[in-house]
Amino acid sequence: MAESVIRLEDVTRYYLMGEFIVKALDGVSIDIKRGEFTAIMGPSGSGKSTMMNLIGCLDTPTSGYIDIDGENTAGMNEAELAYIRNQKVGFVFQQFNLLGKLTALENVITPLLYAGVVSRERKQMAIHALERVGLSDRMDHRPNELSGGQKQRVAIARALVNNPTILLADEPTGALDTKTGNQIMELFEELNSEGRTVVLVTHDRDLGMRCHRQIHLRDGKVEA
Amino acid sequence: MLLENIKLAFNAMRGSKMRTALSLLGIIIGVASVVAILTIGESASKSITESIAIGGLDMVSIYPASGQRSTGIFDEAFSDMLKSDVEGIQAVLPQNSSNARIRNGKESMNASVAGVLSTYGSALNLEFSEGEFFSAIDNINRRQVIVLGSSIAEELFPDQVVVGQYVSLFRNQAKSYLVVGVLESKDASLSLSFNNTVFIPYNTYSQRFIRTSGVGSYTVKVADGYDTIAVSDDITEYLDNIVGTDGYSIFSPASLAEMAEQITGTFSSFLALIAAISLLVGGIGIMNIMLVSVAERTKEIGVRKALGASPNVIRGQFLVEALTLTVLGGLLGIALGSLISYAATNMLDWSLHLSYTSFILAMGFSMFVGIFFGWYPAMKASRLDPIEALNYE
Repeated sequence: MAESVIRLEDVTRYYLMGEFIVKALDGVSIDIKRGEFTAIMGPSGSGKSTMMNLIGCLDTPTSGYIDIDGENTAGMNEAELAYIRNQKVGFVFQQFNLLGKLTALENVITPLLYAGVVSRERKQMAIHALERVGLSDRMDHRPNELSGGQKQRVAIARALVNNPTILLADEPTGALDTKTGNQIMELFEELNSEGRTVVLVTHDRDLGMRCHRQIHLRDGKVEA
Repeated sequence: MLLENIKLAFNAMRGSKMRTALSLLGIIIGVASVVAILTIGESASKSITESIAIGGLDMVSIYPASGQRSTGIFDEAFSDMLKSDVEGIQAVLPQNSSNARIRNGKESMNASVAGVLSTYGSALNLEFSEGEFFSAIDNINRRQVIVLGSSIAEELFPDQVVVGQYVSLFRNQAKSYLVVGVLESKDASLSLSFNNTVFIPYNTYSQRFIRTSGVGSYTVKVADGYDTIAVSDDITEYLDNIVGTDGYSIFSPASLAEMAEQITGTFSSFLALIAAISLLVGGIGIMNIMLVSVAERTKEIGVRKALGASPNVIRGQFLVEALTLTVLGGLLGIALGSLISYAATNMLDWSLHLSYTSFILAMGFSMFVGIFFGWYPAMKASRLDPIEALNYE
């Protein structure tokens, strides 16, 4: 059996909304192995986004433990969490979240800046990642000169460029038409078949069923 | 990383040109005024010093008080006494002078007549357009020879060879003084105007005009390698002991120059301080634009954090942006300040002395302003919650 790359143990995440405590996640334990293609599914308000933020180390749990690629993130400070995000996690967002003033190539280079990769290697690695997603002819274009599908490919290249353990995608086809969305989904399937651990957060049943494993959330708990 | 941050800073500036230009203006005006004030101040000080220096910065003049002249120690022997008792003196030149009418027939004008030794000419580095200074023999023999200032020569002998001509002095109608030299025209110094002065031998003057052994004043030439002001202080101390503070007065262009330098220095430092306050106000403008920039780019900050930027990195990015703004403003300000100084000194007919100290000072201060006022916005950016920042629209 492959090793765990994402392990949540009895994780809770509570928010204070005025005088009420909202239990966004309420005692969740999951274990995702290397190379798995997992969908985290559930209706809105089920805790999907909270779980994605926790897995991506953008947020920390109220209680419980989270291990990412064997590293216990409990008690890590902001800078250490930033390091995990940079090295272990590649984010793909619904709204792409490209930096509008930078070219496609510069967008892909950005995580490498934070990783401290030297200038010459940065460019090589970024070109390689863009080639991998089939966008080598659009490197010098800015996001507003790209179609939705192309933008998402740049975002995927950016997520991949640091060779992260986990590819974490939040509704990656949500802003795309069916055909383009399908192509993006095929790209994820390809990346997974190459051995990459992929976690897809979606409320779309059809999309979720294309993954090899589904984790259903409802009211902050994992459904059996 | 630094290079990327600078590039990002320029990207951000391009994105909001008008806003950037307006907040840069604060820094530019601040730096330009600091540079202009210090440069113009230094140029003023230098040109004042230069005009004082015409009288000779290695000269000290001693004027006996009127009561001391006949009774006191101020006679010809005093020269040798002073020279041997105070270190650093090359020569002590006694001098008597008064105002007099000088004539060439019908042409006449007022002049200052000075009775001096033959060494006076070389001690003061006087230059001649015609002839030369009179000799020691002329003095010993009390000859009636005269050296004319350039204005006097022009007035009395327009377009003529002057050496060899005769002039008359005081009420004397006879043209008894033989012109042996004419001085090169020289800018007026604060102590005396050479152009309107005539020189005759010391002994001739004494015999003809005062008939006493008193000396009107002494010109002390300081020896090479000695500080004029220090020697002047030594002379002051020496004379205070002999005749008391009321017995004489002393004057040296060097101490005047020093005083002028101090006054202009204090004055321009004070003005520069006021200008520095305007730089501080410019800094508030920088803080303002940086806060707006952070607020506008909340989403970008969120994305960068998701991609692995640590709080330090985000803070660095915005600090470099603030610094880039102030350095750019500083450079433009130095250019503008130099231009203003050039125009001002040109108009006032001073020579331009660019104050490089002020360049460094203004640049350093504007960088300090950049860090100081950029710190808070940069901290604010670095502390943004990544999830809230990502979801910010």
